[in-house]
Amino acid sequence: METIKFLESGKLILEKWIESSQTPDENRLDIWISANNLKSVVQSLVENHWGYLVTITGLDIPAVYDQDNVEIQPGQLEALYHFANDAAIITIRVKVPYSKPQIDSICDLIPSATIYEREVIELFGFDLLNTPNTEKLILPDSWPDGVYPLRKSFTNLQDLEISKKEQSND
Amino acid sequence: MTEGKKEKFIVPIGPQHPALKEPGNFEFTVDGEIVTDAAVRLGFVHRGIEKACETRNYTQDLYLLERVCGICSHVHATAFVLGVEKLAGVQAPPRAEAIRVLAAELERIHSHLLWFGVAAHEAGFDTLFMYTWRDREVVMDILETLSGSRVHYSVNVLGGVKIDIDQKLSDLIKKDMDFLEERTEHYMKVVTTDETFLGRTRGIGTLSRDRAKLLGAVGPTARASGVKRDIRVNAPYSGYKEFPVKMVIDQTGDLEARFVVRLKELYESYRLIKVILEKIQPGDIVTRIKRKIPEGEVISRVEAPRGELFYYIKSNGTEMPDRVKVRTPSLCNWGTITDVAVGHKLADMPMLLAGIDPCFSCNDRMVEIRSDSQPSQIMDWDGLRKYGIEYYK
Repeated sequence: METIKFLESGKLILEKWIESSQTPDENRLDIWISANNLKSVVQSLVENHWGYLVTITGLDIPAVYDQDNVEIQPGQLEALYHFANDAAIITIRVKVPYSKPQIDSICDLIPSATIYEREVIELFGFDLLNTPNTEKLILPDSWPDGVYPLRKSFTNLQDLEISKKEQSND
Repeated sequence: MTEGKKEKFIVPIGPQHPALKEPGNFEFTVDGEIVTDAAVRLGFVHRGIEKACETRNYTQDLYLLERVCGICSHVHATAFVLGVEKLAGVQAPPRAEAIRVLAAELERIHSHLLWFGVAAHEAGFDTLFMYTWRDREVVMDILETLSGSRVHYSVNVLGGVKIDIDQKLSDLIKKDMDFLEERTEHYMKVVTTDETFLGRTRGIGTLSRDRAKLLGAVGPTARASGVKRDIRVNAPYSGYKEFPVKMVIDQTGDLEARFVVRLKELYESYRLIKVILEKIQPGDIVTRIKRKIPEGEVISRVEAPRGELFYYIKSNGTEMPDRVKVRTPSLCNWGTITDVAVGHKLADMPMLLAGIDPCFSCNDRMVEIRSDSQPSQIMDWDGLRKYGIEYYK
């Protein structure tokens, strides 16, 4: 009962920014919003003391090609901001294209988000605007720039070097 | 100190030191003895498990994910199987759920006792360290008898568990729980009355309720600051619906409170284990589950010994998951370290780090005190520990 009440109050707080929503489970509410509104959404959750940020999950949605190898849908990245209030979980979902993977940092609202932001920057290649720290968190210092291991296109570094060599030979 | 120019040192601790499961590097900036800034760098044992999960099937992933951590291996497997079972629309039999909780609580006992010993060692109280680790062997023996292994018990399978308990084992566990309860009472007395120990814990590293909430602290670290966060109570999962636990809360928020909360949680674990052994119903321990998991997304949260463990699993209708995201509790609590460290003495750092239970490794590590104006001063972790103990003598 409490859980449903929490979800309803959360939905009410965020109503004006919701582009689409879904309830995949009885204790969950997924909300898709536009990337520009992320800060306002997070701010209103924080101001209304609705739960806490559990983590930020990154998802890679690779480009879709038709039979003739023509891109039908460009590659996208999705960031999922999971907020939990007891058993209730609201997930704020933001989709951005590979070409411009920019999202506002929320560290000024939730300082502890820095560690999660650094994680998605490194592993997915998000561009977090105004995030306080962009130093490497997980990957080794020698890791090549622009290589994002959790993207579906990444298999391993050896493959990457081979394909680079092939490209230069061409 | 020269006039008008403050000497500033950065003390790097790690990379190997502060974690048993995840070595990390802390850089404490000190002004004299007082810490003015703290930063963290992780990833020294990054193994790419999340990526590896995407190229293995669900059964393989179960064993892979159990190896995320060597202390709380069972909770990782539990979080994963609960998520996958939800996606598949399968419910494990009640006896299996009870055994999952039993193993989880035994694991919590071993983890808390391990932490208690390490924290006592950091305070220079090695007698206490030896006693707690001796007593921890009692629970390690139970886990070994139960599953055949001391570390990765592999209790879970998709759809249930693969170990069962009989009357003989049940009687043995009950007897051992009584013994451990008696010992824990003694430890509680030591922690709350021993003056030397209190000198290192009382009023040190106080984290207020609001700060703990804001920084996203979880587990005993949060509960010691009065934040009511315990997934077993907030969102009961698996056997915790049938066998509820009481949440242990303390309002003080200092290091002493973190000791008291963990010890009180031990009592709660002993009680719960005895209740489960008393009330567990006979029945199946496993149910069938298909290899291909229907498309969907699931969030699975469980309470690990160190706090909330979060799993996000996305399936695509095949035998392999599309994405598995793991958020371990230590990651959240590291944020609190960089906050509470500021303003405290360098000598308090070993205890503060131990206080959040970030899994200490036993190795000695190099710590270098750097300065522009002075030649480098090199200290290893043991040296820093001794420095802390000497400081408080």
